[in-house]
Amino acid sequence: MAKHLGLTIKDVTASEIDSRAESSTQAEAAATPPDPRSALPTSPGGTFGRLMRFAIANIRRRPERFVLSVLGIALAIAAVTVVRTISTSFAITGGDSVTNAIGSHAIWVVPAQGVTYNAAAGALVSEGPASDITLPTGWTGTEMIAGLWHSSHGEVAVYGVAETPAGEAVMSARLAQRLGVSDGGPLRLGGHTVTVAVSGGSTAIAISPDLARDIVGDAGWWVADEPAADQGRNDLGKLFGTAVGLPSTQNPAQTPDKNGNGLVYDTTTGSGAVSFAQKYASAFSGQVTDSTLGLISIIGLVLGFVIAVSSFLASVQERRREFGIMSSVGLADEVLYFFLVESGVVFVAAWLIGVLAAGIAIWAVLPHLATPVAWAQASATVAAFLPAMAIVGAIVPVHRLLQQRPVALLTD
Amino acid sequence: MLKYGLMYGLLSARRRAREMLLPAITIATGAFLVVIVFGMQAGIKQQAASLGHAGEIGHAIVLISVTVLLVGVVEAAVATTRTIAHRTRELGVLGATGVRSRPVLVALLVEPVVTAFFGALGGAVLAAVVGAVLGAANAVSSSVSASGTVTGLVIAVAVSVVAAAITSVVPIWRAVNRPPIKSLSAS
Repeated sequence: MAKHLGLTIKDVTASEIDSRAESSTQAEAAATPPDPRSALPTSPGGTFGRLMRFAIANIRRRPERFVLSVLGIALAIAAVTVVRTISTSFAITGGDSVTNAIGSHAIWVVPAQGVTYNAAAGALVSEGPASDITLPTGWTGTEMIAGLWHSSHGEVAVYGVAETPAGEAVMSARLAQRLGVSDGGPLRLGGHTVTVAVSGGSTAIAISPDLARDIVGDAGWWVADEPAADQGRNDLGKLFGTAVGLPSTQNPAQTPDKNGNGLVYDTTTGSGAVSFAQKYASAFSGQVTDSTLGLISIIGLVLGFVIAVSSFLASVQERRREFGIMSSVGLADEVLYFFLVESGVVFVAAWLIGVLAAGIAIWAVLPHLATPVAWAQASATVAAFLPAMAIVGAIVPVHRLLQQRPVALLTD
Repeated sequence: MLKYGLMYGLLSARRRAREMLLPAITIATGAFLVVIVFGMQAGIKQQAASLGHAGEIGHAIVLISVTVLLVGVVEAAVATTRTIAHRTRELGVLGATGVRSRPVLVALLVEPVVTAFFGALGGAVLAAVVGAVLGAANAVSSSVSASGTVTGLVIAVAVSVVAAAITSVVPIWRAVNRPPIKSLSAS
């Protein structure tokens, strides 16, 4: 049986491409009698290798259709990859910005006006003065100033951090470069002159709280940590919220009530496995995938899938007789493998082209919005759709074929 | 001769109208998106602004909707390869009786171009109607601009027709230039 399979594939492939190849194959077969000890066919490459050769022979028979379906699917994949790249870089910035803003503190109390991500500054800033609360006994925490400074080099986030020495401004090397200052040099900040200290990767300037209040006003939030006795509890937010009389949540997508006094975010993992920064990041990227952009790219992917199915359907229609021959010699389910390999080749080629095209498009149109890491992550995410699409794309056309009797396939 | 090719193409396109329905629908979907995106540019800009980087996100939305339109158009070209496969013998007969390749090329190009034109027009008009209805019912936060809709319509139709012609011309050219004896003996 296995021998038959090998020879059948070989013969059909050859006869379809070139009649000369067929005669030479037969001549070969006649010249070298098969080894009686081995029931396996002698052609190299194993089953997968033969399936690949069969798929490639079929692709070469209708190269323009292969090129067109790869092109269509690649365009769709490129569109999805661009959107995913944007949303992934949003997720990365969202996660980084929340880590920058609150560090490893367990409790984050945001004012009623909420906090927003300022794209120009690249950091989270508070929209209103920190909530009017008193820390419950045992808890350690501080009111942190977090506002926008309108510098001559654009908007910059300024955080008042208690540990920062007075007269010093801590910032990342990138921000220092943007502001045109160097480590140890002076910086005119509002009406004050401070010494620049380059350290860390934060996108905001850290200065002493008094100075920060002087420059950006009262805008800010609270950060707090639990007393030693309560360490390891997973309801810290609730505990703190009850003590200060504010609602609490572990969900960063929830925003504070505009008429309230603020909202307590519990940034400990709680009962889930996902960290607060990760949740914040996904809420951030969700803004992109849920927007018009995400919707359009999904429609594109559906159209790409329609192309794949319709091109496979056409190819099945044209090869009815061929499959009739196969099923009359007992190859029924194997026909599915032929199509699976072919559809796999189409989707992998389309993925490679689509992902590269997306990279070029992002680099050309949205250089500030995406990073190579985000692009790589997005490409991997899109690759995760492919197996399902390739398998369904192959099964749909072949399914109808397999329902028919060989005679029906051979006669028309 | 080209005139006869065109008429021949129109006649056969009419006969095969049903098979061009799927590509017409995919193109219409793409055109619908393009027109909606252009018509509601103000609202989309607003949404993009809330994400930051308003300009770049706005560009990305236009780029991606045009890409989706192109995906729809490629389906028309795939349908053309199917047409060619069906009509191999017919092409052989035309070649054997001495019809030159250019009129045959024109005849076969009629199908994808007409599909792209009507598909894009249908999708665009539907989008314009939907946009107008949504605007009148105040269902969307921003107004639907008439000039944006018209721009979107022109771009959708032009891009579809040109892209359909470009993607279809190579498979048609290869089929038309096959030796007639090969086309006639094909099963």
